[in-house]
Amino acid sequence: MAEGYRGMKKQRFVLLKKDPALFSTLVIIWVLFGIFIFLPVFRLLLAAFVVDGKPSFANLAAVMKTSYNIRALYGSLLLATTVGISGTVLGYIFALAVTRTTLPRWGKNILSAITILPLISPPFTSSISLTLALGPNGMLLQLFGIENFTIYGFWGTWLSETLTYFPIAFMVIEAILNTMSANLDDAALSLGSTKWRLFRTVTVPLSLPGIANSFLLVFGASLADFATPLILGGHSFPVLPTEAYLLITGLFDLKGGASLSFLLLVPALIVFLMQRLVLGRKSFVSVTGKSGARTVFSGLPVSLSVIIGIVCTIVSAFVIYLYAIILWGSFVKVWSVNNTFTWEHYAYVFQHGKKAILDTLAIALVSTVLGSILGIVIGYVTQRKTFPGKRFFEFGSLLNYALPGTVVGIAYIIAFNQRPLLLTGTMTILVAAYVFRYYATGIRAVSASLEQIDPALEEASLSLGAGSVRTFTHVTIPLIMPAVLSGTRYLFIHCMTAISATIFLVSVHWTLLTTRILESMTELQFSQASAFSIVLILIVFAGDAIMRGLIKLSSMKFHQSVREVAHHE
Amino acid sequence: MSSEFALELSDVTKIFAKDRGEFRAVDNVNLQVRQGEMVVFLGPSGCGKTTTLRMVAGFETPSSGAIRIQGKDMTTVPVNKRGIGFVFQNYALFPHMSVFKNVSYGLKARGEGVEAIRNKVSAALELVGLSGSGDKFPNQLSGGEQQRVALARVIVMEPSLLLMDEPLSNLDAKLRLHMRTEIRKLQKHLGITCMYVTHDQAEALTMADRIVVMNRGKVEQVGTPFDLYNAPRSLFVADFIGQANIVKLPVVAVDDVNVTAAIPEGGTLTARCAVSDGECTPLRKGDVAALIVRPESVGVEFADRAEKGIRAVVISAIFGGSDVEYQVRLADGSMVKASVPYRNGMDICREGSRVSLVIEAANCVFLPVT
Repeated sequence: MAEGYRGMKKQRFVLLKKDPALFSTLVIIWVLFGIFIFLPVFRLLLAAFVVDGKPSFANLAAVMKTSYNIRALYGSLLLATTVGISGTVLGYIFALAVTRTTLPRWGKNILSAITILPLISPPFTSSISLTLALGPNGMLLQLFGIENFTIYGFWGTWLSETLTYFPIAFMVIEAILNTMSANLDDAALSLGSTKWRLFRTVTVPLSLPGIANSFLLVFGASLADFATPLILGGHSFPVLPTEAYLLITGLFDLKGGASLSFLLLVPALIVFLMQRLVLGRKSFVSVTGKSGARTVFSGLPVSLSVIIGIVCTIVSAFVIYLYAIILWGSFVKVWSVNNTFTWEHYAYVFQHGKKAILDTLAIALVSTVLGSILGIVIGYVTQRKTFPGKRFFEFGSLLNYALPGTVVGIAYIIAFNQRPLLLTGTMTILVAAYVFRYYATGIRAVSASLEQIDPALEEASLSLGAGSVRTFTHVTIPLIMPAVLSGTRYLFIHCMTAISATIFLVSVHWTLLTTRILESMTELQFSQASAFSIVLILIVFAGDAIMRGLIKLSSMKFHQSVREVAHHE
Repeated sequence: MSSEFALELSDVTKIFAKDRGEFRAVDNVNLQVRQGEMVVFLGPSGCGKTTTLRMVAGFETPSSGAIRIQGKDMTTVPVNKRGIGFVFQNYALFPHMSVFKNVSYGLKARGEGVEAIRNKVSAALELVGLSGSGDKFPNQLSGGEQQRVALARVIVMEPSLLLMDEPLSNLDAKLRLHMRTEIRKLQKHLGITCMYVTHDQAEALTMADRIVVMNRGKVEQVGTPFDLYNAPRSLFVADFIGQANIVKLPVVAVDDVNVTAAIPEGGTLTARCAVSDGECTPLRKGDVAALIVRPESVGVEFADRAEKGIRAVVISAIFGGSDVEYQVRLADGSMVKASVPYRNGMDICREGSRVSLVIEAANCVFLPVT
């Protein structure tokens, strides 16, 4: 038996020799992982746990001694949990409205559009507009004559993050509600069940994996969010990412920042691993058996439909209002003091913000291209090839994505601020931060798509004499193109809008639109911030439209038949 | 350089790691395939036939043993350097390429000229009866047409060895019968050596020069369809190929090649021993031997009209057009199948009739009971 195992090990080695392309690809990727993923995390832990060359908890203890930091830890967990719950509930309501109600097509399109808006907006958008509406001199406050109200603190942060992150829950839950078999509805009703009972005993239990997954995703997003609490948290409601940011940028305390990052890293990794567990279990929804005629979902009980209708209307109206207010805010002289129309903020954006616009575009484009290529290669290798250390390879590839952006940003400045890896102040460090965080969507899209494609297609190419590289470029890539492009789309959006990691890495040489928005906000230049936001949203929107067009083009011709081949087995 | 054998497998073994231990998917397989021969690997699912084929193709590497193609050791040569052609169960046509592009794919990878490619592709498409379909996409073709494109795509490469993995299993019954003869005709016409995997014994019998029966990773028997049907060397082969009655009888006498056994109601029956090497048989007087009787070697007559034979009761009689399929029960309770050719005006023995069975000993063989 032992001999057999040794034989197998040897065989793996032979496989690497047999597939030199795979071998060299793996070597290159491992080196990249080593530099841009493992080294920074390692250096972060070193900074947090090594004092004078000896392992020590002194740094952590020092940080934990401050009651303010304890409050920040508590605040982070409280915020993430509550946003996780409210975001999932709201996402579920929207998903039900789109998949289970008789709302006309255009109504559903509006709801879907409402959920896309926060995804393509910079992370401050809702905080800015909430400030404009409910902050000092807030529009709604003036309208209703409310005094002594403050948006700053837990409730404002919670509201803003819920509106920002519920679309994540919506996407996850909508997908799972759509893949359920409508035959189950028919079966339940034909067995004498009422619509309430059907909802309680069939629809909700079957969507539990989606609910769990979306709670974890929203929890993780809120835990990592840095921009919203920075603007809306105020002094009364500290959270870890903002505290770490202030420690580093205000007090230049790298060790303290690293220790706080560690406190943030632990729950983030737990959530990441739990999420993998939820996804790892095979969803029973996909096993629907062969269904006959396609039927439609039977709809919801009337009372529930009414509640869903009211919630969706209010939330949609509020989201639209928040975006309208930003648009309006970008055109007035001084918000709520002098409401005369002006172009001056846009003039400012295109004069003084030109560098930020061009830098952001350049960094986003380079990151998108590199990240897509890396995403394709990693997704392909993990889905199709076997090699030693594959599980660790997979885990490593997603580590930066799993960690909160603040942690990654701090890890990067610690790791790359001295020779020979002196990268702070360069474009490289910004691109690397984006690529190794946001290529995750691409990796997942590519492996999901490959799972649908019969390996026999690649074997056919090899058996016809094509090498593994030609097979990859001529057969695999064209088949997974739609998935690649959808990964690319999210990569581009993230590179344009994300801030939590890169806020630590910008410099006089390279700056970003999102950091300009933040600067305007901290200088209380609300109108300027609004104009920057509008420009950013328009750029992202245009880029996104182009990407969606490409996806449609690439998936038109043969996508159907790919599915057929895959499902034949 | 042409070798005596197109394909040689020597002690080929494949071990897969499995939970806690290992699984011998293919166990010590030896085989020599002559030029132009059509060898069909037959066996139940999981018997190792497809793994063997995939090792010959180069998709899997043997754990031990050697594979030689045209005399050259190919054991660890990657698939794209072996010069083989592989036809997949689900055709594996590239869905994003037209028929022409699919068929020209290998030629292009090989770097052939545009003109040569065009000529070869149209010749191949004509050969499979698909001239003029070059611009279509795979999803515009029927299952049978897709199968032909898959064939053309392989043939156009003029491979030294054609490997086919259950290529007909996705076709409907009628088309499957038709494609059997098509593929066999094409293979003979091109004189190409072919290794074909199937779990359908009728397909194997009609298409093969030689059949390799596999079971649990091991080769059970290699032989012509005629040999396997008429002289199965194990109960597994007897049972797997065609229909067989396996009747256990006590041996009363043996000689060099023949075994004589007592039949329940008196009398004896003498038939060849299939595992005899001409000098002796492993069976001895007093052993229990298994008599392999094909249903068509059993005659059924009404008991009152027959002079001799084994008494039995009809359990079911199914009229199938060209013949009548009987299920009968012997006195000791064992069941026997009989297939009697139907001629006009013949009396069919109804359920419950007492009948007498006549066994044509010349068409039967004895095997040891294992």
